[in-house]
Amino acid sequence: MTNYPQRVIEIANGIREMRIRGAGKIARAATEALKIAALEYTGEGDLVAFKKYMVNIGELLVSTRPTAVSLPNAIVYVLSSLRGVTSFREAKEAVVKRAERFISESEEATRRISQIGARRVRENSVILTHCHSTAAVGVITEAFKQGKVVKVYSTETRPAYQGRITFAHLAKSGVPVTQIPDSAVRYVINEVDYVIVGADTVASNGAVVNKIGTSQVALAAKEARTRVYVAAESYKFSPLTLVGELVTIEYRSPEEVVPREWLEKHPRVKVLNPVFDVTPPEYIDAIITEHGVIPPQAAVLILIEKLGWALDFLGYSEGRLDLNRIVSL
Amino acid sequence: MSSRLTGSELALSVLDELYSTASKGSERELVKRILDLVDLTMSERPASMATINVLRQIGLYILEHGYSGVDKYILELKEKYQAILERAVEVMSRRIASGEVLLSNSNSLAVRKLLAHLAKQGKSVKLYVTESRPGDEGLLLAEYAEGLGFDVYLIVDSATRFFMKSIDKVVVGAEAVASNGAVVSKIGTSLIALVAKEARKRVFVIAPTAKFSPETLHGELLKLPEHDWKLLVSSEEAMRLPENYNARVPLYDVTPPEYIDAVATEYGLFAPQALPLVLSLVEKSGFTIIRPLEDVVSGLKKLIGV
Repeated sequence: MTNYPQRVIEIANGIREMRIRGAGKIARAATEALKIAALEYTGEGDLVAFKKYMVNIGELLVSTRPTAVSLPNAIVYVLSSLRGVTSFREAKEAVVKRAERFISESEEATRRISQIGARRVRENSVILTHCHSTAAVGVITEAFKQGKVVKVYSTETRPAYQGRITFAHLAKSGVPVTQIPDSAVRYVINEVDYVIVGADTVASNGAVVNKIGTSQVALAAKEARTRVYVAAESYKFSPLTLVGELVTIEYRSPEEVVPREWLEKHPRVKVLNPVFDVTPPEYIDAIITEHGVIPPQAAVLILIEKLGWALDFLGYSEGRLDLNRIVSL
Repeated sequence: MSSRLTGSELALSVLDELYSTASKGSERELVKRILDLVDLTMSERPASMATINVLRQIGLYILEHGYSGVDKYILELKEKYQAILERAVEVMSRRIASGEVLLSNSNSLAVRKLLAHLAKQGKSVKLYVTESRPGDEGLLLAEYAEGLGFDVYLIVDSATRFFMKSIDKVVVGAEAVASNGAVVSKIGTSLIALVAKEARKRVFVIAPTAKFSPETLHGELLKLPEHDWKLLVSSEEAMRLPENYNARVPLYDVTPPEYIDAVATEYGLFAPQALPLVLSLVEKSGFTIIRPLEDVVSGLKKLIGV
């Protein structure tokens, strides 16, 4: 660690300590760290030594947030530029160029998703969204600017009330937004034309892992023949699921649901607080990515397009990411 | 009129109040109180069928038999209500085997009685409870079930589908049952029922026939009250809300009969769609005589000259 550039260590710590948050920001910060590491490399000018150094940096960064899919995706995307290079100079340049490309593409991604998604919205639409997603808010706001949105329902999203953030963002852009409790989704869904949500992770079969409650919102929408769109940047697609890895769903503290005093008074009540749930692909009409609108079952297309290396399984040793194979060491 | 009282609790509290008015006051006072309660119920709890039926019955008694004996009648009506609720709960309890995992929402009196019944029968069940926003009545139900010694799991409303596979049966109470078998209950019940149906889990509603809405037989729609954002937040939370915060806060929703496997009543367990038929066969219930509430109200008004 001693010969890693200081700024790289700082970024790694920032991700680990959750000062850097949100899938896109984490991915861009890690990519920036890889670029800095390459530029400030002080070791011997040897291709193998450089590759080993970059793999170590990559492993350090991946370890900071093991569950955020955007992180390994960004790192693999950058480091796979080292495959097939023949000299040290070429290698250094490849990393820097690929890192810059990732950063600009990912910043552009959310904007393109807004534009592509807004095209899917017809005039006089009522939209419902769950939780807070930058990509989903982007689509809704763009569609509103185009004069197509008459009303938006935003769920409170217990336990952390991210719906209030969504409310504030939409209201700031002048979008007519109404909050509802999560339990009222089926009550209003007949009025709704589109459900638009973000994603935490998209699995290779098109299942979408997102904030708890998303799957029952999608089910209620399906029952009412309301369309369900998921707005997701390509770095949310999980290559590990392609080799059978399950997406683990984290349980968070019961104190997010009820106050500590309540828990102490009720020792036999277990408060279960899963953060995410899985929406099956058959409840999703389309996933809107920066590369276009795809049916969820075609999620694998995005993996090929963006992360073609994943398909030969070279990067995976027994279902775990192996950066040595990514850089062909 | 508290929105925290369940449908049955509200009906029982109305019966208590009218009994004490009847045993102390004059006919005029009692009739005025009944008319006030009708207004209050129609504006705040318009789907609380048990209360509406109780008010109708007492009004009818006065119109048919006069004031004398009304206090005794009210007392009988209360005992009858408690008895039919108890019988409905007993019917439901037979469908539940020891070791089963149940899910419920809100804080239905019928569900609490069911749990107490199961505890008495020595059946041990596990209970998932949704917190049931707005109002968070699920916390009260969790507390009650914990007191009976059951294992209780409290979850947010959004986590229903996440846990549905671990559940054997959904059991809920009702505010009203319409003539097509649709059930009005705490907001979110219809979503729970849909999620249960998807997972092929059975959904039971405990509803004595006093919850049946005779008006809906004549095409009347049940009215569902809504509140505004103030019901979603405490006053200190309100300070931290986004500017111009607004919300739509429905209190009840309608679960279609096709998502309900059975309604447990005092006459037994029935398909929800069969209830009107059952009621027409067993007219003795006392809650089923179909006389529009407006008729009773105008009769009472004439009686006291308002």
